[in-house]
Amino acid sequence: MSLIEVKNLKVHYPIRGGFFNRVVDNVKAVDGVSFSIEEGETIGLVGESGSGKSTTGKAIIGLEEITSGSILYKGKDVTKRTHRKQLKYDEAVQMIFQDSMSSLNPRKRIEDIIAEPLRNFEHLSKDEEKLRVLQLLDIVGLDPDALYKYPHQFSGGQRQRIGVARAVATDPSLIIADEPVSALDLSVQAQVLNFMKKIQREFNISYLFISHDLGVVRHMCDKIAIMHRGRLVEVGTRDDIYDNPQHIYTKRLLAAIPETNVNNREQNRERRLKIEQEYQNEQSQYYDADGLAFPLVQISDTHFVALPKESLNKQGEVNG
Amino acid sequence: MDKKTGRVSDISEDDLKRLEKEAAEEATPSRSRIMWNEFKADKPALISLFILVAFVLFVIIASMFLNVHKVMATDIMNFYNKPFQSGSFLGSDSGGRSIGQQLIIGSRNSISIAIGLTVISSSWGIFWGLTSGYFGGKADLVMQRVYDFMMIIPMLMTIIVIVTIIPHYNAITLTLILSAFYWMGTSRLIRSRTLAETQKDYVRASKTLGTSNWKIIFREIMPNISSLIIVDTTLSFAENIGVETGLSYLGFGLPLGTPSLGTLIANANDPENITQYWWTWLPAALEIIILCLSISYIGQVIRRSSNASQRRATEK
Repeated sequence: MSLIEVKNLKVHYPIRGGFFNRVVDNVKAVDGVSFSIEEGETIGLVGESGSGKSTTGKAIIGLEEITSGSILYKGKDVTKRTHRKQLKYDEAVQMIFQDSMSSLNPRKRIEDIIAEPLRNFEHLSKDEEKLRVLQLLDIVGLDPDALYKYPHQFSGGQRQRIGVARAVATDPSLIIADEPVSALDLSVQAQVLNFMKKIQREFNISYLFISHDLGVVRHMCDKIAIMHRGRLVEVGTRDDIYDNPQHIYTKRLLAAIPETNVNNREQNRERRLKIEQEYQNEQSQYYDADGLAFPLVQISDTHFVALPKESLNKQGEVNG
Repeated sequence: MDKKTGRVSDISEDDLKRLEKEAAEEATPSRSRIMWNEFKADKPALISLFILVAFVLFVIIASMFLNVHKVMATDIMNFYNKPFQSGSFLGSDSGGRSIGQQLIIGSRNSISIAIGLTVISSSWGIFWGLTSGYFGGKADLVMQRVYDFMMIIPMLMTIIVIVTIIPHYNAITLTLILSAFYWMGTSRLIRSRTLAETQKDYVRASKTLGTSNWKIIFREIMPNISSLIIVDTTLSFAENIGVETGLSYLGFGLPLGTPSLGTLIANANDPENITQYWWTWLPAALEIIILCLSISYIGQVIRRSSNASQRRATEK
């Protein structure tokens, strides 16, 4: 059984207008997304900005109101309040935010910031709590004297590690990392990512890794889901996606990875132009009449792609 | 629950104490320290602070030695005594009552009403604004309609009507009546900041970490808008001195026989007082001007100290 199963998740925002402020339309931020996360696995959620990947993450943790669909945690629907309490869902799922500065309360000391989940979920004595905060700081490689400092006294990478420490405090089984390193410079990105990997190995945590940086995703994730316009266009293992991309959107994303080899510059340029042209010319093959992706179709054990069934050689069952 | 991270830490008790000491030394200067430096950099404000504190203390202590009934007793022999003559320092009014003593008791009454009014109306306004801004949606809609309703009531008229209807009232009831009508400005100001603050990630983080809504409002958001709260409270204190004074001036403030700054200024209603007996109303008028100016200087310093880019103090 999967740790988390997202089934046909939809998050729509109403657009109000007209004379009586009626709902005239919906922004379909997330429009029918299904995937599952296994224990200890990292799944990358990739897409351009506005594709709904952050909204999906927030919907899973409960920060966004779900329009329809269900989220199963250990087989039970956690969109219901009673199940959430019963399964200690709030404790088991934590989040790392993109902006480390604004996600740490500037008026609180690091000790209070990291102890916040401990105070809410675990009732420890003062000394136990302090020791535990020190352990957590140690896990993310920060010195004990960080305890009494304020967030603004740290660098971006250190702050993000404090965010990681806070997320790990309650021994969660899933951490939703919403672009955890996109606000950091490259040298610091690796540092934070390696701490995240180390923690995953030690505590067997699953990650839902939301990012638009394909290089980072390749480094971190076992499974990758590509999102476009609120729908998944391709899901597969790392190798499926990087070596055998099927959907034009995935190909475009991969083509956008910068290449450092100057000798092949002309070739790369041509390849990119070709893919861009294919995207421009053959929209109808990859997207339906409304410009949305088709339902996912299975093409191998692990590989799903959103293409109309006729255009595929191998027939598979429809998933979602 | 499985303590996966439950290793024994190698940090000893002594280390913890040492760390705490180091942290205290290295900590950024406290808020009060910054504020004091800011006062030192702005001489007029420092003088204002000194005047205000000294005056309030003087008025409170001096009024303890005065008997209101004795002060307000008519003494026809001292009818319109000139100041600095025949024993009374600031002269006396048409009833022979000492202006100086009235001023002391009147200031105490006016200032304590202003303090009470500021405390009650600001607390309520802050609570209303925080709640309305944080919860948003339907709660916000309802609370803002209550706000709108309070705003369209002609405030002064309503207060005058209530004061006239209530059979016997004193300083406390007057403070409560006024408080019911003076929380709206604060609430709107606080709401607008709360709306912005609620969207920040640390509020979301607190939600996902299982902190309750009320705790988020008062422990997370409120400290972050505390500078705004302090500035607003200081400035509304200056305004609130004027509220009671104005009402008493019109004759609807404190009951008859209770001196206040307003009743003293009301002496100026009489053209004879204005032209000949200037000492009956001028001290109170000057006092209000000086008090309000001082408070506004102090408020500016507090506002500056809460915003690093506006600070004038150079040292850390």
